[in-house]
Parts: sequence; C-alpha cells; structure tokens
Amino acid sequence: MVIEIGHFSVVIALVLSAFGIVSSILALKTRNVDWVRVGRVSLTSIFILLSIGMASLIYSFLIRDFSVHYVATTSNSQLPLFYTIAAVWGGHEGSLLLWVFILSTFSTIAVWLHWRTQPTIMPYLIGMECLIIMGFLLLILFLSSPFDRLIPAPPDGKDLNPLLQDPAMVMHPPMLYMGYVGFSIPFSFAMAALFSGRLGEEWIKVTQRWTIFAWLCLTTGILLGGYWAYYELGWGGYWGWDPVENASFMPWLVGTAFLHSVMVQEKRKMFKVWNLFLIIVTFSLSLIGTFLVRSGVLTSVHTFATDPERGLYILIFVTTIIGIAFGSLMIRAHKLKSQVEMDSMVSRESMFLFNNLFFLVATATVFLGTLYPLMVETWQGTKVTVGPPYYNTVFMPIALGLLFLMGIGPYIPWRKASQASLKKNFLVPLVIGLLATIILFTLGIRSIFALAGAFVVGFSGAAICIDFGKISSLYSRRASVSFLKGSLSAFTSNQRRYSGLLTHVGVLVLVIGIIASTVYQTEKVVSLKVGDEFIIDDYRVKLERIHEVRGKNWSAQEGVFEVYEGDSLLTKLRPQKRVYDASQTPTTESAIYAKNMGHIFLTMPDVSPDGVAVARGVINPLILWVWGGGGIMGLGVLLNIFRPRKRDE
Amino acid sequence: MTRTTQITILIVLLGLLSLFYQGLWGDPRHIPPILIGTKAPIFEGPDVESGEPLSSKKYQGKVILVNFWASWCQECKVEHNNLLKLYDEFKDHPEFIMLGINYQDEMPKARAYLKQYGSSFPHVRDVKGALAIDFGVYGVPETFVIDQKGVIRHKWIGPIVGDVYTNLTNKILTPLLNKSAPTI
Repeated sequence: MVIEIGHFSVVIALVLSAFGIVSSILALKTRNVDWVRVGRVSLTSIFILLSIGMASLIYSFLIRDFSVHYVATTSNSQLPLFYTIAAVWGGHEGSLLLWVFILSTFSTIAVWLHWRTQPTIMPYLIGMECLIIMGFLLLILFLSSPFDRLIPAPPDGKDLNPLLQDPAMVMHPPMLYMGYVGFSIPFSFAMAALFSGRLGEEWIKVTQRWTIFAWLCLTTGILLGGYWAYYELGWGGYWGWDPVENASFMPWLVGTAFLHSVMVQEKRKMFKVWNLFLIIVTFSLSLIGTFLVRSGVLTSVHTFATDPERGLYILIFVTTIIGIAFGSLMIRAHKLKSQVEMDSMVSRESMFLFNNLFFLVATATVFLGTLYPLMVETWQGTKVTVGPPYYNTVFMPIALGLLFLMGIGPYIPWRKASQASLKKNFLVPLVIGLLATIILFTLGIRSIFALAGAFVVGFSGAAICIDFGKISSLYSRRASVSFLKGSLSAFTSNQRRYSGLLTHVGVLVLVIGIIASTVYQTEKVVSLKVGDEFIIDDYRVKLERIHEVRGKNWSAQEGVFEVYEGDSLLTKLRPQKRVYDASQTPTTESAIYAKNMGHIFLTMPDVSPDGVAVARGVINPLILWVWGGGGIMGLGVLLNIFRPRKRDE
Repeated sequence: MTRTTQITILIVLLGLLSLFYQGLWGDPRHIPPILIGTKAPIFEGPDVESGEPLSSKKYQGKVILVNFWASWCQECKVEHNNLLKLYDEFKDHPEFIMLGINYQDEMPKARAYLKQYGSSFPHVRDVKGALAIDFGVYGVPETFVIDQKGVIRHKWIGPIVGDVYTNLTNKILTPLLNKSAPTI
C-alpha cells in the first residue's frame, strides 16, 4: 500500500511538472504574476510529492517489503540498517529517483530564495527546472520505476552489491548528484538570461554561491569515490580513468573553469559568451554523464544495467535539453558582444582566458579517451580499451599548466601588467619554484612529473604565501596587533578572495599528495605460508596466522600480519578475503596503517587451499595529503559561501 | 560567437549524437567470440628484455601457453608467481612453450616489472596492439592455451590463482602434453 502511495505521488508530480511548464509560458505571455505564483506552487508541490515518493521507498526498504521488485533486487533481510537506507540509491531506478528528488529540492529552494530579488526571470527559472524534472519523471515512471511490484514476493531479497556496503559509498552518490543538480541552478538562470534577453551580470552574481556549493558537492563526491576505490577495491589506487569516473570528472573540469571565468564578467563585463557557454557545457556534461552510465553504451565496474530502450529515451531527453541550450546561445550570441576589448595578453583577463582554454582542452582529452573505445567499436567492430598511459601522457602536462596559472592569476593585475609588477610579484616565487625542483633533483628524484610538479607547486605556493604574508603584516602593523590577529583581519577583509586562495592551497596539498603517492609508491606481491615474512621499504611484514572470521552478512578468511619497523612491532594488519552470504560475491578487504602521513596498505587477494597466501603490500607516501588537501579545499569553499555579506551584494 | 565556432559546435554535437545513437545498439558486455576451436594467429615482436625478434612460427607443433600482461595491471602482479611456478613445473617437457605478451605498455616499465617480479620465460612486446586485437584481448591478464595443431583450446580472463591454476595445470595442460607423450 505504502509503495503505491509513493508511486501515485510521483505520477501527480509528473502532471504538475508539465503544468509548471505551461504556467510559466502563460506567465510570460500574459505578463500576469499570478501565473508565476501558480508555477511556484506547482514546483513546491512537486517537492512535497517527491518527498512522499522517496519516503515510501525508504519505508519499503526498512520494513523489508520484498514484494517491491526494487527492494528485492537491492537488499535482503540480513543487510544492516545503515546500508538498507543506502540501498535506496544502490540501483538504477532508486538512484534516478534520488536525482530528481534533489533536483526538486534545490529548485524549490532557489525559487523561494530569489523570489523577491529576481521577479523577472522567475517564469523562465520555474519553466526550465520543471522541464528537466519532467524529463526525469517520464524516464522513471515509464522505463525505470522503483515502484513495481514483484508478485509472488520472494522470501528474501538478493542483496546490495557488497562493494556498496560501505560508508563512503553511501555518501558518494548523494554528493555527486547534489553537484550535478547544483549546477542546474546557474544553468537555469543562464537559460533565463538567454530567453529573456537580460544578458547582464545579474545572473552571475545571484548564482555565485550556488555555483561554488555545487562545486563543493561534486568535488567531495569525486574524492569520496576515490577514497572508496582506494581502500575497498584493494589495489591501493584512487583513480583509474574508468569511463564512469571520467563522466564525473568532466563536468568538474568545466565547472571549475566556469567558477573562475565568471569573475571576469563581474569585474570587467567581458567573457559573457564564454560564461554562458561554460555553464551550458558543464550541465550538459552532467546529463551526458547520466546518459553514459545508464544507457549501456559504455562498460565499467560502475555502470548500471544495460537497456537500449532506456538509453534511447535518455539520449532523446539529453539531446533536447542540450539542443535548446546551445540553440538559444547561438541565437543570442550576437547580442553579447562585449564593449570592452582585452588590453593585453599579459593581464588577469588573459590568464582567465588561458584558464578556460586549458580546462576545455583537458576536458576534451578525457572525453576523447572515454569515447574512443565506443568510436572504434562502432566504426570497426573491434573492442579496445584506453588505459592510464594515454591519460597520463596527455592530461598531466595540462594539469601542470593549470597549476602554474593558479600561481599567476591572482597576482597579475587587471588590464595590463607592467614589467615592474611582474617582477615584484613573481620573481621570488619563480626562484622558490626552481629551488624546489633543484632540491628534489638532488634528492635523487628523476621523474619529470615530480620535478615539474615541484616547480609549479613551489611557485604557486610561494606566490600565495608571500602575498598573504604581506597583507597580514600590513594589517597587524596598522592595528598594532599580533601577526595572527593581522592575518585574521586580512582574511575577513576580503573573505571571498582569501577563502578562494585557501582552496588553492588545498589543491596544492592534494597535488603534493598525488605526486608523492604515485611516484614514490613501493609495492610488493609475495606468496607466503604462515610464519614467512617479507620486507617492503623499511618494514618487515610477517604472516602470523590465517583464520576464519564471520560478520553480520559475510564470512571471510583473514590473514593476521605483523608489521615491524626494526625490532619494534608497529601494528597488526588484518586484510580479508570475504564472501557475502546472500550473493556469494567475493571481495578483498584491505588493511591500512597510517604512518608519517602515508599509508602502509596490505591486501590478501588469494589464499590457496594448501595455506599459501598471496599478499600485496603497498607503501603510499603522503597519501593523507590527498584527502587532507581535499578537506582544505572544502574548508575554503565553506568560508566562501558563509562569508559576511558586503554592502554591494 | 563567430559563425565558424557555431558551426563547429553544431558538428561536434551532431557527431556525438550519432555516435551515442549507434553505440546504443552495441552490447558493451559482449566480448567477441572466444576464438576457441579456431586457429591461433601467428604473432611476432621484439623480446621485451633483449629486444631480439621473436616469432610464434618457431614454436609450431608445440603446446603454447600465452599470457597477456602489463606493468600497470594489478591482477597481473597477483598471478605472476603462479606463472613462474607453472613454467617451472612444465618447462622440461619438450613440447611445452610459454610466452608472455606485454600489452599497451612502455618498454622501460615492462622491463622494470620483469626485473622486480622475476622472469624465466620469454616475453614479446605487442607493438601497435595488433596481437591483442588478433587474439580478441579486452583487458589484462588474459591467458590462452594453443595446442600442437595451432588451435586455441582454452582462454581465461583474469588472474591464474587458486582453482583456476589447478584447473589449468591438471585439466588443460597435462592432458594436452600427455597426449603427445611417446608410447612406451
């Protein structure tokens, strides 16, 4: 009964979404604000109805109603409570419902939040969001319904994929979807600007916080996915250039470009077409990503079940939205000629231009690598894969270029940089960058990637620290307070700028972590019997015993490994080879010990019947800097979003 | 936005649309027919360690075990010791040949991998990836067994560990090699 209530609510929501589009069109035609109010009520009602839909699904999971098909295929009676809730978005149908639920939540908030200040674009905003909602609801109700019954109901369900029975995995989809959906708000505002012809800076100023919030969610979602892959998949890596990983990375790249590029329009009323183009591409990539992972066009560990019919519908839907967006842009483009020309190739404007170009080229390389297998298969019939070597060769140099720009951009003047200002701002950072490279070289490091990375990190890091140090000491001297107090005043005096720079610092920390854990990773794979030991780096690892362990819904063979540094026992690591009861799926559970901000990472991929274990040990230096860097990035964004409002905002 | 830019965007979008549309009707899970029962392709390439040219023509009439691997492949590392063990077990049989094929890799990294993990049988470098396509290889590791008549008799996708190892040695290789054992 409950699930039918949920189903019915979603059906009504579909009708209301169509109505929301109609009322918005009527609002524009009749110029009657009552129609806009009707649209707002429709959107709000959609939110309430989809909440009921989600609630009914969650409830069915909690009471273990296996007569609901989706509940039976993604959970079972032994599944712990926490993961039972997560199972709601563990499969294709439920995750789509989550997507549209978040979409309706954000849309409703956006409409209510900006109602008073943005009356003119409201009909466009409501209409666009309702159009996207309608597209998803049609997909859900006709081709991917989580509300279908399974009669007769099985006595127990299948199971949630064991790989998903994990805390990071629980949060990963909601975070990602909040990112994708978050970008739909500036996208809809951009569409509103294009349709209404009000092509000034308004839409950018209004959506600035939405954009960085969406960026924060998307970044967190991607990092969570990487973190999960790292300890759950058991190969000690956190990024594989898998098609579905790339599908989330591409909107992130263009979204980051957009986030920066809008500053130029705010400051100098330039890049108008760029910004519209960038947000359209960002949201399009979110939708294309949704298409790629659910249509069956690509294969990966992440993809949901394949179904060409479903894929065809999604393709039509995505094409419609993207077609409308690019079409509007091209029609209006001629109205967007900026009055201001770029003064010089050595200016902040040009740095932002390079920023946009580099991010777009980076996205294009990832896009090409992701789609190449599909192209070859379609035109030649053969199957190929594109692996890390391609991405590392093509993407890394661009990434280094971007990191270099990160150190120049904030410190180069607008309009035109004089030789004197260039020298003043960049001489010392350049020297420090070179010093960093030389130091690493003398330490025996020869990897081009690490050396170039050292240069850009040293350069950019120095630029940020020197600038902030100068401003902080200025403030501390002016008010005769300590340097610390001075730096606090400096930070809050221009919180938007400095929180952004804090995020940049986070990026540098992340990059150092990536370089260290990639270039200096040591690895050893050995076969051992109980009592044997092996050496990795400065550590001695001894297999003490192998025994059976039981969990709530799994059983495992666990190896107990003693890790020694010199003669002292550091820790005992317990990697497992697990089998989940319901699905009989095996997983490799890794064991990790943190030391010196790096990880000793151990897995036991195989145990033969005669007691010979294969153990794989990895030392990942400074890997905690990867997650820590991500944390600093997030902190910077939060300080940006929650900054005191200035008079002109 | 210039006319050129507009047209470029339009072409890119239409291209993507047609690509995705055609892609829908392919099956990404469908791996091309395993080639079992068909004649194995003749292959050649430089030896990974010495650089000398190697050709499978030299080994016609023998039982050849071919293993595709790469230095960046994690599962390959897991099975490596088993491969060495397998070679050790069968190397004295006059009709047994074992060859590794290095897939989508860089020579220095491949050599370093062999140095680190051990090498006892020859490895061929798959220049241009043609060997992988000829064998229908979709990823690594993949292992093939070719009989004395040059016909592919067995293929395994994934690492050779545990039961897979026992199955390969006892149920595939041993019978094939014993069949040709001279009758006393």
